[in-house]
Amino acid sequence: MATITRSTITNVLAKQGILIAFVLFIIGFGLANSRFLAVDNVLGVIRSSAILGVIALGVTFVVISGNLDLSVGSMMSFSTIVVLDLHDKLGPLMAIPAMFALTMCLGAFIGFLVGYLKLNSLIVTLGMLSAIHGLTLTWSGGKNMDIADKQGTWFGIFGRGDVLGIPVPILFFALLAIVLSILLARTPFGRKVYAVGGNGTAATFSGIPRARIVFLSYVISSFCVACAGLLQASRSLGSQNTVGQGLELEVLAAVILGGASLLGGAGTVFKTVIGVLILGFIQNGLLLVGLAFYVQYVVTWVIIILAVWLDIAAKRGRFLSPIA
Amino acid sequence: MTFNLKTALIASTAVMGAASGAFAQEQGTMKIGITQNNVGVDSYQTTYERAFIEAAEANDAIDAVVLDAGGDVARQIAQIEDLIQQEVDAIIIWPTNGEAVIPAVRKAKQAGIPVVITNSNIAEPGFDFISSFSGPDNITQGARAAEIMCDKFTDMGIQDEAQIVQISGQPGYTTAIERAKGFEDRLPEVCPNVTLVETQPGDWSREKSQTVMEAFLVKYDDIDGVYAGDDNMGVGALNAARSAGRDGIIFVGATNFSVGYEAMARGEYWGSIYQSPVDDAEAALKTAVDILEGEELPFLNYFDTPKITQDNMDQFDKPVF
Repeated sequence: MATITRSTITNVLAKQGILIAFVLFIIGFGLANSRFLAVDNVLGVIRSSAILGVIALGVTFVVISGNLDLSVGSMMSFSTIVVLDLHDKLGPLMAIPAMFALTMCLGAFIGFLVGYLKLNSLIVTLGMLSAIHGLTLTWSGGKNMDIADKQGTWFGIFGRGDVLGIPVPILFFALLAIVLSILLARTPFGRKVYAVGGNGTAATFSGIPRARIVFLSYVISSFCVACAGLLQASRSLGSQNTVGQGLELEVLAAVILGGASLLGGAGTVFKTVIGVLILGFIQNGLLLVGLAFYVQYVVTWVIIILAVWLDIAAKRGRFLSPIA
Repeated sequence: MTFNLKTALIASTAVMGAASGAFAQEQGTMKIGITQNNVGVDSYQTTYERAFIEAAEANDAIDAVVLDAGGDVARQIAQIEDLIQQEVDAIIIWPTNGEAVIPAVRKAKQAGIPVVITNSNIAEPGFDFISSFSGPDNITQGARAAEIMCDKFTDMGIQDEAQIVQISGQPGYTTAIERAKGFEDRLPEVCPNVTLVETQPGDWSREKSQTVMEAFLVKYDDIDGVYAGDDNMGVGALNAARSAGRDGIIFVGATNFSVGYEAMARGEYWGSIYQSPVDDAEAALKTAVDILEGEELPFLNYFDTPKITQDNMDQFDKPVF
């Protein structure tokens, strides 16, 4: 009986190392500042992280399929600016689907280049990072985009509203995480994404249409970016052209922190969510502790490395794993 | 063909000369080149460029060569070298980087071309090579923001107990450092009992500032005022306070943006510093022209950036950016 329990615990540890690291940090920050765990603060942090989180959900698909997406930051700026501009021109009801269509066209274009022309995803999306930024600036003429009548629109409900005391962005994030988690873990499509990223040649021989799977993973990613743009636009009802700048690296950090492999074939939606929350709570925790910002940069790195190491140590069941 | 071209040149020079007074009759038109930082990246720079071109076109004696470095230091250095090759009469530079452009500025000086730096100054080792700096005085802007905040606290009768937080611009940027310094030095002089409890950077971003302010609101039960390095960040902080239901906080920013102006009109945002990109552009052009006409100018040729609050905002036009 005792041995079964022990092996079960070891198993859980090995599978959920990142979750354990997360809980440890939460306890640590909670002891450092009693307000860290106040309901308002926790909800606030998750609400702030939701935008990054929604994008990370989509990028998880791209990464598991063995590719990268560095264009999500500027794509989010694009969708934010576009939906704000169209809000005043077409009204919110038309602006939202129009923005989703435009953003997903960009995703489909990237998916076409990577999937059907077999171009390197790093090069394609790095290029799209600047190209989409240029597109955004062309659209806005470089001006900040603001909704003219901020009081009189219902558009703010996505970013500012709440249902039974829970902010809408959190519900949005949770709902999307559940749907995409089911898509990835419980459908044939999801299994094909793992197969394409894990061993592409084997996938081809099993009759999996690799190009279509890669294409669809970019479309999913751009759909998530459009959701994030909607949340962002609705939260601030106005935006700078650079609102998503640098987000692509934070998103990748969250996805990798969650344990997805950069080489493809591994990762889950749930772990990405944990990765996102770790980044969000680190930022908030360090602000509450009140460290100077230049110390924060260093401490953030230390905590991330600590989390990755704890994850790996739990998987291997030992602290040291020298390259041999 | 050659003859025609020559005649046309002579004719046009004569027309220009007749139109624009003594200087032009001696020298022909003034060819002034400008290389800007990153037009189109924000509304301020977009408006600046438009105002500069309009001001140059309005003056027949000026022939302007307008370039943009797109935020790229290497491209800006190449543009400065191009302008030197074109033998322009003066070069105006909006530096992409205060250190990296110095060698190119030195080259211009050696070629005998006066250089005017606009908007944000280059680093001190380069001062020997430039004729003048035209732009806003960010230290004074910070100091004036401290005065606006202190005056308001005095009106409210809380000048002896108020607690404030500061959200500064991107770390490492001269504008961010100078505004924070101006504010922090001036505040204890005018309101010695107001405490600045914490400063964190908002990186000129509304979203980042909102996140920082959310943490401040959790951490401090009592916040009476917020000083933000520009209105974009100030409005981000305002959004955070409003969604947390914390009323009565006095928000003061800098570089009055249209969002800040609107929030002031709604009575949610107290004050800011009015800095017009149109004034900025016209001041830069005028500085270059004055130097070419041989006028004595102060080395730091600031244009005025007045205080704007809910009380006097009707004297100012709503910013276009």
